[in-house]
Amino acid sequence: MLPPKPGQAAAQPAWRWVSERGLQLVTAAATLPRYEWLLSLKFPEIEDIIPADGSLLLVLRRGAAVSDALQAALDAPLAEALAKPGVLHEIAVRYGGAAGPDLAALAEQAGMNAAAYVDCHAAVEFTVAFLGFQPGFPYLGGLPPALHAPRRASPRVRVPAGSVAIGGSYSGIYPAAGPGGWHLIGRTPAELFDPQRAAPALLQPGDRVRFVPL
Amino acid sequence: MIRVERAGACDLVMDLGRPGWGALGVPAGGAADAAALAAANRLVGNDTAAAGLEITLSGPLLFFPAGAVVALTGARFAATRSSGAAVAWNETLLLAAGESLDLGPAQDGCRAWLAVRGGLMVPPLMGSRSTFLPAGFGGHQGRALQAGDQLAVSPASGGVRLMRAQPPAAVPDLPLRVVPGPQAGQFDDAGLAAFFGGRYRVDTASDRRGVRLKGPAVTHARRALASQGVLPGAIQVPPDGQPIILGWDGPVTGGYPVIAAVIATDLPRLAQRRPGDTVHFSTLEVEIARTLAVVDWTIEELG
Repeated sequence: MLPPKPGQAAAQPAWRWVSERGLQLVTAAATLPRYEWLLSLKFPEIEDIIPADGSLLLVLRRGAAVSDALQAALDAPLAEALAKPGVLHEIAVRYGGAAGPDLAALAEQAGMNAAAYVDCHAAVEFTVAFLGFQPGFPYLGGLPPALHAPRRASPRVRVPAGSVAIGGSYSGIYPAAGPGGWHLIGRTPAELFDPQRAAPALLQPGDRVRFVPL
Repeated sequence: MIRVERAGACDLVMDLGRPGWGALGVPAGGAADAAALAAANRLVGNDTAAAGLEITLSGPLLFFPAGAVVALTGARFAATRSSGAAVAWNETLLLAAGESLDLGPAQDGCRAWLAVRGGLMVPPLMGSRSTFLPAGFGGHQGRALQAGDQLAVSPASGGVRLMRAQPPAAVPDLPLRVVPGPQAGQFDDAGLAAFFGGRYRVDTASDRRGVRLKGPAVTHARRALASQGVLPGAIQVPPDGQPIILGWDGPVTGGYPVIAAVIATDLPRLAQRRPGDTVHFSTLEVEIARTLAVVDWTIEELG
């Protein structure tokens, strides 16, 4: 990691090597604009850029050096606004019942009834902060603090595909069936990931999501 | 065409992977030792990126009705040919029409790669023919081979040359070299001493997603950690203190602290550790790791 130079602005991004090909850039609230910007610069030495919670992982091609241009981009001050707002997706959800077995308990913890909880969740315009865990699994930022809930103490062995869930400060959607530790509040018929499609993931980082109760 | 008469423990169609989709939650994947698959491909006259088979722990019985030019690299497996001819590793092998190749248990490692002249013809998905087992796509129908499967082989042109490959020298029981991870500073002295002084056993629950280790618990301050991007080789420490080395098909983001990362140069050696084997670690400065040249295979024509 480069030591911070004296006199630099507080907004200066910090970056460090996390392996010989991986460079982690701390981006805080500017993760998406910085991701979009770095992508647009198309650095030939970069194989992949992986956004996460407040940081970006830049994966360099094997043996590639950091060019002066990339060095300058890493040290550039952060912008906190997206160049353009992401695509808005309306995702149909059947809330509660067998589709959302944790809805009642979550609503009770939040001190509201299930209908109010659903209204609150469906009123939000979420932003896809990043994808991870499974191909196409979106971490949706913008969950009202009243709806935050720590992950389940013991994960489920099998969560059905399309499950809409709450994990910490995020809402998410399980693209495929599998184990999972988030609270399930509903299910969508939307197909989140299909490797055969030209755009395999329905939701891209920076896209906006609104849930529509069925 | 190749017919699978008996499947091995986990035979996966692999090429060099699909880098560039991390932002969608898809890891690069591909052969656990890309250089070994590339060498096998060169031995049969293929492009190094052609699809072959990654064979783990116990191999399949394959029938070649029209014959084939094949090559095996990686760990030695018990192997016989129906013709009775010897099965050499790291060499071009000519299989006659109607021959079969029987690969038994691994004898000195975990994984071998089989290349077939022309390359396995499965549809590319997201730029690669590699199987991504956790999400069930790529390779042959998104899964490991099963008895009765038929694998199409792409046509090849030009003459066949007989070649031999020399893998990089292997030194047994060398530590895996690691560079410090982003959360190395969150581990106390006891945790760091346990990790760097300890020997860990590879657990049976290991696969291409992660190599799970059992051994001295690595203690750390349990701070809430934001999900961060991770690469194969990153060593995560969950609350129970038993480290997990993320594998080739591991997740692209993780929420456990990463104490260290196995350098890419040593991942092929990790690919050969099997359940029950031990691993230990030594540190390397990242600046030095970045200067390490890729160790290449040498390939010569047989005179």
